[in-house]
Amino acid sequence: MVALDDVSLDVRPGEFVAILGPSGCGKSTLLQIMAGLMPASAGEVKLDGHAVFGPPPKLIYLFQQYAKSLFPWRSVVRNVEFALQSRGVQRAARRGQALEYLKVVGLDGFADRYPWQLSGGMQQRVAIARALAAEPEVLLLDEPFSAVDALTRLELQALVLDLWSRRKLTVVLVTHDVDEAVFMADRIVMLSGRPAKVTKMREVAITRPRDPITTREDPDFLALRHDLMAELLARPGVNEGGPL
Amino acid sequence: MSRLGRAAVSASGLAGMLALWETVSDTGLANAALLPPPSTTLRAAWAIIASGQVLAPLGQSLSLLAAGYALASVLGIGLGLAMGCSRSIYGLFEPLVELLRPIPKAALVPPLFLFLGIGTTTMVTIITIGCFFPVLINTVQGVHGVDPVLLDTARTFRRSRGLTILEVILPAGLPMILTGMRVSLALGLILVVLAEMLAGSGGIGFLILDMQRSFDIVAMFAWLLIMALLGLILSLAFDILETRAVPWRAH
Repeated sequence: MVALDDVSLDVRPGEFVAILGPSGCGKSTLLQIMAGLMPASAGEVKLDGHAVFGPPPKLIYLFQQYAKSLFPWRSVVRNVEFALQSRGVQRAARRGQALEYLKVVGLDGFADRYPWQLSGGMQQRVAIARALAAEPEVLLLDEPFSAVDALTRLELQALVLDLWSRRKLTVVLVTHDVDEAVFMADRIVMLSGRPAKVTKMREVAITRPRDPITTREDPDFLALRHDLMAELLARPGVNEGGPL
Repeated sequence: MSRLGRAAVSASGLAGMLALWETVSDTGLANAALLPPPSTTLRAAWAIIASGQVLAPLGQSLSLLAAGYALASVLGIGLGLAMGCSRSIYGLFEPLVELLRPIPKAALVPPLFLFLGIGTTTMVTIITIGCFFPVLINTVQGVHGVDPVLLDTARTFRRSRGLTILEVILPAGLPMILTGMRVSLALGLILVVLAEMLAGSGGIGFLILDMQRSFDIVAMFAWLLIMALLGLILSLAFDILETRAVPWRAH
């Protein structure tokens, strides 16, 4: 089965790119290929000019099923330590450093709990802290907020935006949420349904820092959101199986 | 039904069984010489326990079980991980395992006597063989059942293959491994009794048969009761250990 067809994308260092498309259009496949987790049948992925054949250092993939990506036998802080270990941080220094990353995501009080004792939003914060602990330059986010409640989603979006700007990260976010893409990204890449093709590229010129409330009232935000929404809804395949 | 209610029903079932046994023996419905009443049996069992007479046979049976069980667990988990992680190792051993697994392990005792003699070596070997297969099969299944998201997580954090097995696959497969070890524990106890009856010289299994042969029926039942108690305690201990080892299983 062909999931992707002729998708070409160039992400600049420090850029926040959102890949937007309907569910099942192959967005996740694209992201996994970019992460070196899945080989592409054709084409290539380059990071800093080097071809990617396996998961590169300095790049972390954050799973949609964050609850499944955390190790249930490790406490929260030990989950974060997993990333430090990969970086070769000495055993004695790991806990202290891991606690710092937990503080960044606001979970310093939960270090010795276990992931399954936390709410979905908190589990995602643990996954984010663990990703940060790897000190990546590139973060690939696969619909990271799709499984949490609406309020938590807003909080996590703000958190990721804050981390992105403070740590000068390059972020590629895959989402089917137009609102989320417009709110977070510098640039939005729209994919069509299977096999996915790039149908549109839009720069997002909304000023930063962005605010969960006021940005969403910005005329630029509303106009872009309108355009993209119209595009998504008019596309055949989106509402397959039933009249609108 | 409430927990208390359920417990009351269970207790009354047990009490009813004991009452029936007592009545059958006391009224002469069954030959009391062959089926001593539970009161007599319990008293005899308690005497054996309280006097410390229980310790040597218990120690013998337990060390036999421990040796065979530990050996089987190490071998079963080791080969299970190898078979689960490597397609070629799986291909190499799978037909062999499928061929040997259905043999009732008790049937292997006579040939083992030929090669290993009648003694401890044979007893440990038969327990090891019996306990080995459930651990092996469940370990392989546990490894195959590890969520791919966990494996990809290890990959994105660039863990080596060896460390991934140790730090991700082994703990993720632990619930299944423990399921296998639970089956093995029950099987191990059966084989301890069998081995001791055929080749033992002092364990609890040996004593049950020995008391029957010397017609000390009360003592036979007393040791039988102690064996049952041992099985119960081991099973409960395993439960506690399991809940502690994999607390996330319930979630």
